[in-house]
Amino acid sequence: MIENLVEATSDQLLAEASSCKYQNYRYVTSTCVDNGDDTIDVYYHFDKDYQMKNIKITVKKGEEIPSISKIYFSAILVENEMKELFGLNITDIAIDYGGHMLLSDEELSSPMLRQQITIEQRGGKQE
Amino acid sequence: MSSTVIPFGPQHPVLPEPLHIKLVMEDEKIVEAIPAIGYVHRGLEKLTETKEFTQNTFVVERVCGICSVMHAMAYCQGIEELMNIEIPDRAKFLRVIWAELHRMHSHLLWLGLLADAFGFESLFMQAWRNREKVMDIMEETCGSRVVISANIIGGTRRDLTKEQMVKINQVVDEIKEDLEQLEAVFLNNYTVKHRLVGRGVLTKADAIEYCTVGPMARASGLKTDLRTTGYSAYGQLDFEPVIHNDGDNYARTYVRLHEIYQSVDLVKQAIAKIPEGEHVVPVKGNPPKGDVISRVEQPRGEVLYFMRGNGTKTLDRLRLRTPTFANIPSLLKMLPGSELADVGMIILTIDPCISCTER
Repeated sequence: MIENLVEATSDQLLAEASSCKYQNYRYVTSTCVDNGDDTIDVYYHFDKDYQMKNIKITVKKGEEIPSISKIYFSAILVENEMKELFGLNITDIAIDYGGHMLLSDEELSSPMLRQQITIEQRGGKQE
Repeated sequence: MSSTVIPFGPQHPVLPEPLHIKLVMEDEKIVEAIPAIGYVHRGLEKLTETKEFTQNTFVVERVCGICSVMHAMAYCQGIEELMNIEIPDRAKFLRVIWAELHRMHSHLLWLGLLADAFGFESLFMQAWRNREKVMDIMEETCGSRVVISANIIGGTRRDLTKEQMVKINQVVDEIKEDLEQLEAVFLNNYTVKHRLVGRGVLTKADAIEYCTVGPMARASGLKTDLRTTGYSAYGQLDFEPVIHNDGDNYARTYVRLHEIYQSVDLVKQAIAKIPEGEHVVPVKGNPPKGDVISRVEQPRGEVLYFMRGNGTKTLDRLRLRTPTFANIPSLLKMLPGSELADVGMIILTIDPCISCTER
């Protein structure tokens, strides 16, 4: 399972990331998981001597979260990817592609977000 | 001095895949580099949400042909952890054998591309001729040459017979012998060294700062190799990560070339120690539920799989971070200060795999 998991808020994210940097953790990557409601889990994975530390924040869709790329420059591509594929509102990324690293001008939605689907039966009943 | 922006790629003779880099130049020197990706993004992570967890083994193999065995290995290890499946010892050794064969063919392919990039066509052919021997083993043991589908949740899809193992031992010895001759050119030839030594330097401090992984990190003096954590059967084999301290193109060539010898040794050790018994166990129990992280050392470095199972046949989320994705920021550190003529070689020495990056 996931070892060494720390839950934090988006306000605490930069402090937690700075703490990891201070403790010589290597930034591995970040992961977004759409919870299916109006929240998204964002994991930040760090490694030191093959031991992982994971910071998890849960944010509401559309909520602003700070970029950690000022602390770990190598987060640039991951953060741009999360911003585009999950619609995360990440601010101050060191190199910000403005939503066009992977998506084109014509693509308006975030493809990895789960859509809330209501199945309507022929008789008009909903389930 | 006024600056000029030169677009490098996405189509370029030195790049087998579409990586685009905007180079901001002052005279012949690069002052800034900005990468652009997204030309071939395939949305495989999204696809995995629509497939059953047993089918995803085949999806993740198609992230990249060159390291397909390791992708499947990382995925299977994660699912096995979630479902508490203990795979047979024989399967662990079989996984190591196929993984190391894949590492060999990946590094031989890269050596060929490197030779092609600095204009040694015959050297390129020789490297790929050796690679063909590995591909033939793949075909003989698994039925296909690149995406071999050797791994399956619970073990391996196929077993190796004694005769096949004897043959593998002979072939890897031949490859080692041939490579010893090629090594003299790759590492000692004056012209080749001129293109490699002191070019594209990534210091140890920068490798740490930019979170570099794999042979790139090891070529900058970082002793990091996930295989030393002992996953699969690696804990029962004897080896040390290949290290070089110079951090330049030459160091990266040295590390990859010597990792082929290391793989030969690991394959032979695994064949010598492989136990008898089953190579797969049946997958029983409820579908995976919970979060898990699985990591494996690929030819290009560490790959990370994050999976969230919800107790049904489909996963809520499968996220994978490939080594090239992690190494592109280091490239942005190496390029400024270099000359335009060296850009191709520098990019090539990170062994870029855009297929992996844009999974």
